[in-house]
Amino acid sequence: MMETWTLLLGGFGTALQPMNLMWAFIGCLLGTAIGVLPGIGPALTVAMLLPVTAKVDPAGALIMLCGVYYGAAYGGSTTSILMNTPGESSSIMTALEGNAMAKHGRAGPALATSAIGSFIAGTIGVVLLTLFAPLVADLALKFGPAEFFSLMVLAFVTVSSVLGASMLRGMVSLALGLAIGLVGMDSIAGIPRYTAGVPELIDGIEFVLVAVGLFAVGEALYSVLYDPKGDVTARNKLTSIWMTKDDWKRSWPAWLRGTAIGFPFGSIPAGGAEIPTFLSYSTERKLSRFPKEFSGVGGKGAIEGVAGPEAANNATAAGALVPLLTLGIPTSATAAILIAAFQNYNIQPGPLLFQTSGPLVWGLIASLYVGNVMLLVLNLPLVGMWARLLTIPKPQLYAGILVFASIGVYGMRQSAFDLVLMYVIGVIGVIMRRFDFPVAPVIVGMILGPMAEKQLRNALAIAQGDWLIFFKQPIACTFMVLTIAVMFVPIILRKRGVRLSEDD
Amino acid sequence: MQKRWQVGIAAFILMLSAVFGVGATQLPADTGYAGIGSAFMPAVVALLLLLVGGLLMWQACTGGFRNFTDGVVDLVADHRGALWVTAGILASAALITKLGFVIAATTLFVCVARGFGSKTWLRDAITGAVLVLPVFWLFTLVLDVNLPHLFNVWF
Repeated sequence: MMETWTLLLGGFGTALQPMNLMWAFIGCLLGTAIGVLPGIGPALTVAMLLPVTAKVDPAGALIMLCGVYYGAAYGGSTTSILMNTPGESSSIMTALEGNAMAKHGRAGPALATSAIGSFIAGTIGVVLLTLFAPLVADLALKFGPAEFFSLMVLAFVTVSSVLGASMLRGMVSLALGLAIGLVGMDSIAGIPRYTAGVPELIDGIEFVLVAVGLFAVGEALYSVLYDPKGDVTARNKLTSIWMTKDDWKRSWPAWLRGTAIGFPFGSIPAGGAEIPTFLSYSTERKLSRFPKEFSGVGGKGAIEGVAGPEAANNATAAGALVPLLTLGIPTSATAAILIAAFQNYNIQPGPLLFQTSGPLVWGLIASLYVGNVMLLVLNLPLVGMWARLLTIPKPQLYAGILVFASIGVYGMRQSAFDLVLMYVIGVIGVIMRRFDFPVAPVIVGMILGPMAEKQLRNALAIAQGDWLIFFKQPIACTFMVLTIAVMFVPIILRKRGVRLSEDD
Repeated sequence: MQKRWQVGIAAFILMLSAVFGVGATQLPADTGYAGIGSAFMPAVVALLLLLVGGLLMWQACTGGFRNFTDGVVDLVADHRGALWVTAGILASAALITKLGFVIAATTLFVCVARGFGSKTWLRDAITGAVLVLPVFWLFTLVLDVNLPHLFNVWF
C-alpha cells in the first residue's frame, strides 16, 4: 500500500512537469472537441495522432493520447444533451434523458450533473485503477502464454459478439481483422506471409490507414450517402448550469451507483461502455422516487437518468485501462490503438510494464488525476464554448475531418497511393456500416491477432504440442469456459429485448 | 437490390477465405516444438472466413441478414454527394505530389463540402486554405512529419 503511494507520488512528479501538463491539456482539449463533434470518435483521433510518437517522448505522447481517450467520454454528453444526436454511442442513454431535460429548459443542470458526475466517476475510477492495477499486474506475472492466449480469445469473442446487433456479423468483422493482421512478417519464424512480394507489406498493413479509412472516410461517405442534411432537430437552448439542492440530492447516489456499475464492466475484457450505461440507466429508473419524470413515459427528464449513465460511462473508461496496462488486452478499438502507440516505443503493455517502465506508467496514472480536473474545468464553466462547436455546418465539418484524415495518412509514408487505398478501405467501411457490420472488431483483430498467435505458438511449444494445456491449467481453463459462456450473452440480451449497437 | 448486395458480401468473404486458404498451403510446413508453424494461423483464419462466409451466404439466400439495428434496413442513398466526396479524395491524391499540399487539400475541402450540399464554393475554398496552413505547420514543424511543399509550383 505504502509502496503504491510512493510510486504514485513519483508519478505526479512526472505528470506535473510543465511539458507533460501541456500534453495532458492538449489531449483533454482535443478529446472534448471530438467527443462533442459528431462524426469523429476517439479511435480515429488517437490513430491520426500516432505520428507524434515519432518525435515526442513516451510519457508526453501517452499522456496526451490518454487525455483524448478520456476527454471524449466527457464531451459526448454535451452533444447528447444539446442536440438529440449522441456524439458517441455510449451516450445514447444520456441523450434520452438529457435531451428531455433540455427541451424543458433544464439543459444547464443536465450538463452540470454529467460533467460533475464524470469527474467523480473518473476520479474514483482512477483511484481504483491505482489500487488494483499493481495487484492485477502481480497476479498476471504468473500468467504464461497459455493464460494470455485464452484471455485474448475471451477478448476476441467479447469484442465481436457482445457488441453489435448480430454475433455472426461481429465474427465476420473479427475474421477480417485477423486476416489483415496476418499480412506481413511472422513474428516467430520470420517468414513473410501474404505480402505478394511487395516489400512495403513486410511490416504489415499500416493500421492507421485502416483505422482512418474505416472511421473517417467510411463515416463521411456513409453520412453523405444516407444522411446528407443531417437531423435538422432544433438545438436546445443552453441555460444556467446551477444545480438546485434537490438536483444535487438526486445526483449523488446516481453518480456513485453509476461508478460502481461502470468500473467493473470496464475492467473485465468485455469492451464497450454501452452495456454499463444501459444498466445504470435502468437501475436509476427502477430506484427513482420520480418515475414519472423519465422521458420514456413522456416526462420532462429525470436528472438521475443523466447522472448515472454519464458516471458509468467515465468509470468504464477508467476501468478499461486496467486490462490495457496490466495485461496488454485492449477492450475497444481506441484501446487497441493505444496499445499500438506503446508498441511504437517498443514498450509492450502487460504485467511487466509496471516493472520495466514504472515511472512511465505511474506518470500516466497520475496524469489521469490531473486530466480529470482539467476536464471538469473545460466542461463546466466553458461549456458554452463547446456548444458553439455544434454550430459548424455539416459540409464544412466533414470537409475538415477528411482534410485532417488525408494529411494523417499521407504523412505516414508520403505516398499518394495510400490516399487511394484509404478511399477503398472507406468504401468497405460504408458497406460494413450499411449492412450493420461492427467496425471495432476489425481493429481489435488486426492488432491483437498477431499477439495472440505468438502466445499460442509459445504456449504449445512449452507444452510440446499438447493442446489440452488450455484446459489443464486452471486459469486458462477458466478463461476458456468464460469465452464459451459469453457467446450466450447476446442471445439472452436479445430475448430480454435489449438491442445493442457498437461503440468505438 | 438488398439481396444482391448481401450475396455479394458473402461471396467476397468466401473468396477471401479461398485466397487465405491457398496462401496457407504455400507457407512452410515446418512446425518445431509447438506442433504448429507459420501456416497454422492462416489456415485457422481461412476456415473461420469460410464458416462465417458460408453462414452469411445462407442468411442472404434465406430472407437476408438477421437482427438489423433499427432503421438500417430501408435507407435511401444519395449518390451524387458520394461522387463529389470520391472525386475530392481521388483528386487530392492526384494533385498532392504535383501541385503541392495547399491546392490538394483545398480541392478536397471544396469537393467534400459540395458533396454535403454546400453552395458557397468560394467561401469553402478560403476556409479550406485557412484551415490547411496551421495543420501543415503543426505536422511539419511540431510533429516532424514530412509533407510535400505548400505550393510546388512557386516554391
